[in-house]
Amino acid sequence: MSLPERQTDIGPPHYEKFLPPIVKKNYGKWAYHEVLTPGTMVHVAEGGDKLYTVRVGSPRILSTDTIREICDLAEKYCDGYLRFTTRNNVEFLLSDQKKVDPLLAELKAKKYSVGGIGPRISNIVHTQGWVHCHSACTDASGLVKAIMDELHDYFTTKALPNKVRLAVACCVNMCGAVHCSDIAVVAIHRKVPVIDDVNVGKMCEIPTTVASCPTSAIRPNPKTKSITINEEKCMYCGNCFTVCPPIEIHNPEQDGVAIVVGGKVGSLRTNPKFSKLAIPYIPNEPPRWPSTVAAIKNILDVYAANAKKHERVGEWIERVGWEDFFKLTGIPFTFQHIDDFTFMRDTMRNSAAFKY
Amino acid sequence: MGGKYKTPMLDELEKGPWPSFVTEIKKAAKRTQMADDELGQVEKSYVTKRGYWKHGGIVGVLGYGGGVIGRYSSLPDEFPGIAHFHTVRLNQPSGFFYTAEALRMIMDIWDKYGSGLTNMHGSTGDLVLLGTTTENLEPLFAEYSSRGWDLGGSGSAMRTPSCCVGQARCEWACIDTMNICNEVTQYYQDQLHRPSFPYKFKIKVAGCACDCVAAIARADLSIIGTWKDNIRIDQAEVKKYADAGMNIQAEIIDMCPTDCMSYDGKTMKINDVQCNRCMHCIAKMTKALKQGKVKGATLLVGSKAPIVVGSLLSWVVVPFIELKAPFDNLKDLADKMIEWWDDNAKPRERIGELIEVKGMRPFLEAIEMPPVPQQVREPRKDPFFFWSESDFN
Amino acid sequence: MEQTEIQEKIFAYMQQMKGKKKLKEKDIIKKIMEDTSQDKDTVKKALRAMIDVGKVMYSYGGGSSSVEIPSEEYLKEKGLI
Ligand code: HEM
Ligand code: HEM
Ligand code: HEM
Ligand code: HEM
Ligand code: SF4
Ligand code: SF4
Ligand code: SF4
Ligand code: SF4
Repeated sequence: MSLPERQTDIGPPHYEKFLPPIVKKNYGKWAYHEVLTPGTMVHVAEGGDKLYTVRVGSPRILSTDTIREICDLAEKYCDGYLRFTTRNNVEFLLSDQKKVDPLLAELKAKKYSVGGIGPRISNIVHTQGWVHCHSACTDASGLVKAIMDELHDYFTTKALPNKVRLAVACCVNMCGAVHCSDIAVVAIHRKVPVIDDVNVGKMCEIPTTVASCPTSAIRPNPKTKSITINEEKCMYCGNCFTVCPPIEIHNPEQDGVAIVVGGKVGSLRTNPKFSKLAIPYIPNEPPRWPSTVAAIKNILDVYAANAKKHERVGEWIERVGWEDFFKLTGIPFTFQHIDDFTFMRDTMRNSAAFKY
Repeated sequence: MGGKYKTPMLDELEKGPWPSFVTEIKKAAKRTQMADDELGQVEKSYVTKRGYWKHGGIVGVLGYGGGVIGRYSSLPDEFPGIAHFHTVRLNQPSGFFYTAEALRMIMDIWDKYGSGLTNMHGSTGDLVLLGTTTENLEPLFAEYSSRGWDLGGSGSAMRTPSCCVGQARCEWACIDTMNICNEVTQYYQDQLHRPSFPYKFKIKVAGCACDCVAAIARADLSIIGTWKDNIRIDQAEVKKYADAGMNIQAEIIDMCPTDCMSYDGKTMKINDVQCNRCMHCIAKMTKALKQGKVKGATLLVGSKAPIVVGSLLSWVVVPFIELKAPFDNLKDLADKMIEWWDDNAKPRERIGELIEVKGMRPFLEAIEMPPVPQQVREPRKDPFFFWSESDFN
Repeated sequence: MEQTEIQEKIFAYMQQMKGKKKLKEKDIIKKIMEDTSQDKDTVKKALRAMIDVGKVMYSYGGGSSSVEIPSEEYLKEKGLI
């Protein structure tokens, strides 16, 4: 088998090759856009050209078969052009309005989920989970599927006060931008890893293992040719397991997920915000995580019922106060909610004015 | 092929209206043993509630240190098809635009060498190909690179830059995000493929403060479009919004964070010197309000996820910079930032963390930026500050 | 100094440090610059040439990248020996 000659450092192909002619013509000359339905919008150029976008959800993990099917649709309706969004949606780009309805009809027949535009939820950004990552304390894809099934109407039809951005990270590394989402799930370990001294001695480089711990909880143990962990310093991050698998961090009965809320990245109205802890722990319940799904639905419903139009989750909570958030959602407040880490001094209440 | 495993747990996740990743894995499992064994192992994880992956070590294509992530099942005897299941990051085109023809070519090659599974896209932005073996890496790279597709970054390197759709389809893009992203990616090819930094360095480009790529939350250098002069108001269009039922007082005027707008039922006014360019009014009344014409970007640095001492959001270092192709001023500033970081950082220290340790002053001096009030929310509260010799002249 | 001579020094240093410390590209360049008083670019070029042919390779672990001597098993998988 002869292979073509490899090339290096050529970088990605230039994006211009992939732009539909209408985009090339009106590049930088768009005047405004209108959201037509939860899954369609039109961008109008200064000269009057109209570009229609149809957005569909995707599970992010796609087989080559499905991608080919999407390509077929793009060829049939969009002269072969399509794009993906940062939240892993697929967007069909049409310059011919007459083709929009037939495309929607075919998407419906093929059971695609069309939506995600405007004041609703969009696709959930998420990480690899059990499908593909050694660190995972839960499965991101399964959680996303279960949550999106439950909230499907908020993707395809129902409106909310503003966009709600959801995310799932399957360990505290938070490969997605979970720390700035309206509502996010982050999976956590809760127990100090268990050390298999014999295998640590055989399989691991001790200096590397010691260096892997971000809180310096690990010390070499010359007697056992292994290591010891200072339980008071360990924050269950799992880095040591990553470099030295005989330090077992997984604990299936104690691992689970936390829910954080109120983050955003845009600067609209209020500054970008981190998400803050709402629920410190819910056990893993594969395959469909019913308690986690119900908790998210509850927070979303309370937000929808109480926020003003255009308020994001975090803006609503800041207006009413966190004491009201816990009251309205019925979520219990625990020791875990009080910051005892880097940001404690910024999070305590230095005032005698508050609500009940 | 396929159907080697019973998967009652995963089958539950084929129910419901949202597209199912299980269905996707099953489709690929009909054709590849890799995807079928993947299905089997994931089912096992659902039963035992834990993962079975190992990773890391030397894996890649000759000459590169980035773009391939080693991945191995920790149960290779039980699931031999995924004893190797490496990830390949293909550098996406700016803005995630494709043609069906190009995507089909990518899929054809992937079916020849891999599991048939992908992530469209990874959180960094790359087109992620999930699952191949060490032997297949060189042929796969030859096939892709000869057709114009290169690998993205991983490890302690420049990571694949990414951007929002920008001027290709958004009226709010103050800068040409896709061009900037492409230029920067090409400029840093060596640093992208050959990890020589203390840690990762990420660049993301958003066209306006809506920040559709979350640049402010997940890039060491966040580039966000903005403008300097007055918002342009089309009063006739304002009236149309009012006539269409928008409560302009409640939805726009009262929600302006700087209290700089007014509307008397006929004319909208903005006291532009007070406006902080948050984008709220423009985003809600896109036909009536347009950004000014003096456009450029704000450069911010430092964001990262919470590991180890807590999250950081990027903060302002350059309030306004004009960005015109080929963006030499941006490349020059980025070079200075990276050089300072590379010279001073400990291994695994992100640039934001280094600035926290060393202070803003040495950083600003290194990139030759003066201190300005736009960089801070408020000045310091304590009187414990330092002086250097240069302050006494 | 000939490039091959620099490369021999690089390889010897890497063998000596194997299992003791994960060497980053920068660590190697620094050490060899000291030992040979060659400039940075020359050493870097010599190292990169070794990486290009797979004499040594980039590796990943512990959250950061390093340069290592590949195992025979890996070289076989890659079809290099
Ligand atoms: C009326 C207001 C807004 C409109 C019309 C709008 C429009 C859009 C559009 C067209 C996209 C797709 C971008 C792409 O093609 O990559 C997008 C994505 C995104 N927007 Fe906005 N945006 C608005 C407000 C916001 C706000 C307020 C935020 C956050 C504070 C935000 C965050 C995002 C994010 C994170 C994405 C990536 C999501 C995706 O691709 O679906 N947007 N937005
Ligand atoms: C101890 C720390 C971390 C470890 C061990 C780790 C490990 C990993 C691994 C193994 C993957 C590859 C998953 C795969 O495709 O197989 C990955 C992907 C990724 N990581 Fe991390 N990670 C860490 C921290 C972080 C942090 C702090 C961030 C964010 C700033 C981050 C962002 C990402 C992103 C964006 C990806 C691509 C993931 C995707 O597209 O799903 N990681 N990480
Ligand atoms: C070197 C720095 C400082 C010196 C020399 C200093 C000195 C003083 C003195 C002499 C008093 C009056 C004490 C008394 O009458 O009993 C005082 C009170 C106080 N200082 Fe400071 N201070 C310093 C820094 C700060 C800082 C950084 C803060 C807060 C951020 C602060 C907050 C206060 C407060 C809240 C009081 C009480 C005021 C009151 O009773 O009305 N001080 N300080
Ligand atoms: C202890 C051993 C560790 C291992 C084996 C490890 C492994 C990995 C791997 C395989 C990835 C994804 C591959 C890549 O993109 O390079 C990754 C990504 C990442 N790791 Fe680690 N990691 C470790 C420790 C850490 C630590 C201590 C931190 C933070 C202090 C960290 C932060 C990250 C981040 C931020 C990413 C993001 C990747 C992205 O943004 O694309 N890792 N790590
Ligand atoms: S969040 Fe954690 S478990 Fe999930 S992909 Fe990232 S590193 Fe892996
Ligand atoms: S889990 Fe994390 S904090 Fe705990 S010992 Fe291991 S590396 Fe250190
Ligand atoms: S960041 Fe701004 S310019 Fe870019 S797509 Fe989003 S709204 Fe448009
Ligand atoms: S951009 Fe923001 S601050 Fe400026 S006028 Fe509009 S709402 Fe007010």
